[in-house]
Amino acid sequence: MTRVMRLDWKGWLIAALLTVAILLPLVNVAVWSFTEVWRYPAVIPQKFGFRFWGDVLGRRDVRDAVMTSLSLAAIVTALSALICLPASYAFARMNFPGRNLFFMSFLTVYAFPKFGLYITIATIFIGLGLIGNFWGVVLIQLVSTLMFMVWIPVSAFQNVDRRQEEAARDVGASPLRVFWSITMPQVLPAITAAVLLTFVNTFYETEVAWLIGAPEVRTVPLLMIRFINSELIVQYGAILSLIMWVPSFLLLIVARRFLGAQALGRAFA
Amino acid sequence: MNRRQLIRCTFAAAALVAAPSVAFADVNRIDVYITGDSNIINFWNNIIKPAYESAHPEYTLNVVSARNAIAPIVERTLAALGTEVDPQVDIFDENDPNLPAGAIEKGLWVDFTEAGLQNYDKINPVTIETNYGLPYRGTQVVLAYDTTKLAPENAPKTWAELVAWMKENPGQFTHNRPDTGGSGGNFVRRAIHEANGRDPSLFRIDNYVQGESDELLAKGFELLKEIAPYTYGPGSYTADNMQSIQMLAQGVITMAPVWSDMALDAVNKGVLPETIAFTQLTDLAFAGGFADMTVPTNAGNLEATLKLADLVLSEEIQTKVVTEIGAFPAIGWEHLPEELASKYSNLQPASIPTFPGGPWVSAISDGWFRNVAPHVNR
Amino acid sequence: MSTVEAATAAVKRRHVDGRGLIGLLLVAAPVTLIGALILWPVSVSVFDTLTVRGPDGRHFSLESYRFFFSDGFSLRNLWLTIQVAAICTVLLLVISLPIALYLRFSETRLAGYIQALALFPLFVPSILLAYALIRTLGPNGTVDILLTAVGLPKIPSPYLTPWGPIIGLVWDNLPLTLLIILAGLSNVSRASIDAARDVGAGSFAVLWYIVLPRIRGTLLVAASFIILGLFSAFTLPYLLGPAVPEMMGPFMRRTIIEVDDPLQARTQAVVTFMICALFAMFYVRSVARTRREQSS
Repeated sequence: MTRVMRLDWKGWLIAALLTVAILLPLVNVAVWSFTEVWRYPAVIPQKFGFRFWGDVLGRRDVRDAVMTSLSLAAIVTALSALICLPASYAFARMNFPGRNLFFMSFLTVYAFPKFGLYITIATIFIGLGLIGNFWGVVLIQLVSTLMFMVWIPVSAFQNVDRRQEEAARDVGASPLRVFWSITMPQVLPAITAAVLLTFVNTFYETEVAWLIGAPEVRTVPLLMIRFINSELIVQYGAILSLIMWVPSFLLLIVARRFLGAQALGRAFA
Repeated sequence: MNRRQLIRCTFAAAALVAAPSVAFADVNRIDVYITGDSNIINFWNNIIKPAYESAHPEYTLNVVSARNAIAPIVERTLAALGTEVDPQVDIFDENDPNLPAGAIEKGLWVDFTEAGLQNYDKINPVTIETNYGLPYRGTQVVLAYDTTKLAPENAPKTWAELVAWMKENPGQFTHNRPDTGGSGGNFVRRAIHEANGRDPSLFRIDNYVQGESDELLAKGFELLKEIAPYTYGPGSYTADNMQSIQMLAQGVITMAPVWSDMALDAVNKGVLPETIAFTQLTDLAFAGGFADMTVPTNAGNLEATLKLADLVLSEEIQTKVVTEIGAFPAIGWEHLPEELASKYSNLQPASIPTFPGGPWVSAISDGWFRNVAPHVNR
Repeated sequence: MSTVEAATAAVKRRHVDGRGLIGLLLVAAPVTLIGALILWPVSVSVFDTLTVRGPDGRHFSLESYRFFFSDGFSLRNLWLTIQVAAICTVLLLVISLPIALYLRFSETRLAGYIQALALFPLFVPSILLAYALIRTLGPNGTVDILLTAVGLPKIPSPYLTPWGPIIGLVWDNLPLTLLIILAGLSNVSRASIDAARDVGAGSFAVLWYIVLPRIRGTLLVAASFIILGLFSAFTLPYLLGPAVPEMMGPFMRRTIIEVDDPLQARTQAVVTFMICALFAMFYVRSVARTRREQSS
């Protein structure tokens, strides 16, 4: 416990620097959302107000977009976990022909510039009737989540303590039981991280949603781009992002329980 | 364009398999893609949509914002041409039918001279650039400036005065890049006009000749290079219309070219302070232009869409174009209510200098990025 | 550790026989998706850039690449992108590593706060970040307002200079980097560090001899993730960066939309892809080497 005390000045330093670097721009956005007039060089905005909040919350397109975004992100994340986690397990623990090649092929998702790729994909999708279609967006977003979902858990699966598994099996536990009680707790933090990243990346994704989804699929980030890029009142975008932080916060709190629990568990192991 | 054909061959078979899944789209929905800023989106949603839907209750308008991202949607429409697929695109509110190259030859766009629109003959002929685009609203670029730093009586009235003012006040002027938004693009075009005897008739939609025309543009770029050291930064050009307005609102710069309708809206909404005033160069105004609607021939609801285009050119809607968004009407003033004409027609310059689209767009954009933008760097 | 490795090897041997098919089945779905939606379109793109259509059909040509590599403007954009990517990667690793180390080896309340803070950029879409940064670090932005209020001179604003996108991209990529490094650090046991400390190793020695060798692979993964992402970044470079030189993301989009030259845009995409592939190869080789070392 003495080490914790000694490390602490580093903690405060990191916390202080991060607070300034991360929070300053965000607090700025939050203040702007309640501001009607704020001109240089006043430190305090000249005019506060809730006018823009009323404008944004009263819009039907905002509510529809929130629903679309949430269901899109949830479906993509669930599908991605469904097909990727078994694959991830296979990559980590099994040997099969072409394993390394297949494993590395996921890099291509990230390596080819997205814009060029999506334009080509869009021309393919149009023949399949997947343009302007919710499931078309799901499909292509699913592809862009594959790498995270496969790769992040792989190292965790590899690092699972095999001795514990062997021991459990030796005392007669079924493979499923071993997986659930021994393997799962050890890989849960990595899976949580992968799910978190997938959900968030899908939730805030714009290019696919636009190129493949327009005009049918309208997500919150698309609305936000419109608000910020072509609306004179930038505050609409600020308000929308504050609204979007609500689901994000909830997710982060849930995720932190697992991420943090791991650190604790490791420390005592 | 080869790729498209290649792909079309390969998915011809796939499309057959997937055919049942194609018929998703709501058949009575007209998809309208808007390139303009939000004032235009609101105009379509609040004025045109109710007017059209009450006249044709069987159809609904779906207004989609396509800002800065229209090209992929056009590509998508072109890819669907000649197939049975509904591209889910019925009309673009502001689009250059010359792009992508060859789209007209392939028959992508409706030829409005043959479309049988009732109101087509009312259009002010000076506003028509092409048979494949239907003008419906015009705006112009003006100079917005901060009267707390520049008294209105000293505001520049000619290009020469503007340059002189910039040299006396370095770092107080900026414009956005000519590839997006258009206010900066028309500032660049004004420089090109200036360098070529202020004669807009030199530039026509059909007279771009590679090499020869590039020399005309290069003269304009030379003028811009001359003033580049005196721009904000120097040489820091903002990304879009809005960023220029924000620089003005933050008091960072004194003057910027802006779209007249957008800047007026900004003052009305308090985004720009009341102390912002506007001026226009009198030796030759900044180029403006008319937004051209284009309709793809493979639109899912072609006939209904043409009725929509006709409605937009009606007296009713064109009056609202003047009163609601402060833009210029595309039909002649003689077709509009007399009181409106007497009140507003003198605001519209006898002719807004225009700069043609088509190959000129890419020549100017690419030329500016290659020649002017690298001239000074922070 | 050697017992673990021996056990691992034993398990592996047992799994080799007969389970190959199951393995293939388990990975079939994601691999198929990659093939159909990434590899196939990419091949079409590459094929397009390598051929021209003559009167007698398509034939092979390197013309579009010759143009790209002889065009100073394009090369300058590519060079800027590489520089920005390099600077961002170094900054991100240097910033993330201490934070990750702190988070890994402390369980104070402060750690929770730091972790929440460092992960928060995940929830800020880049379009909003761009505006937040313009308002904060831009000319006459919040930092300038605060400095002026206490009588200090204004900062030289990074807005519309190459530092604008660098700051934005570092901010944006911090959580991803941190998560990857944290995942890698879970391989480093506290016991091994304590053991080193007990024999008198200083903090730096612990970092250099104990921690870094174990997370070398992880750092490479993090670096390749960052670099690959940076090469197609669009919003932040476009809104925060200078008009020229452009990063490849805005450059590609402008080439396709404004210059109306899909072939050149595709060529730019393929060149970018090749550079990314190069990084990917470094990564693949290092992974392979680690595997060999482990199995020998």
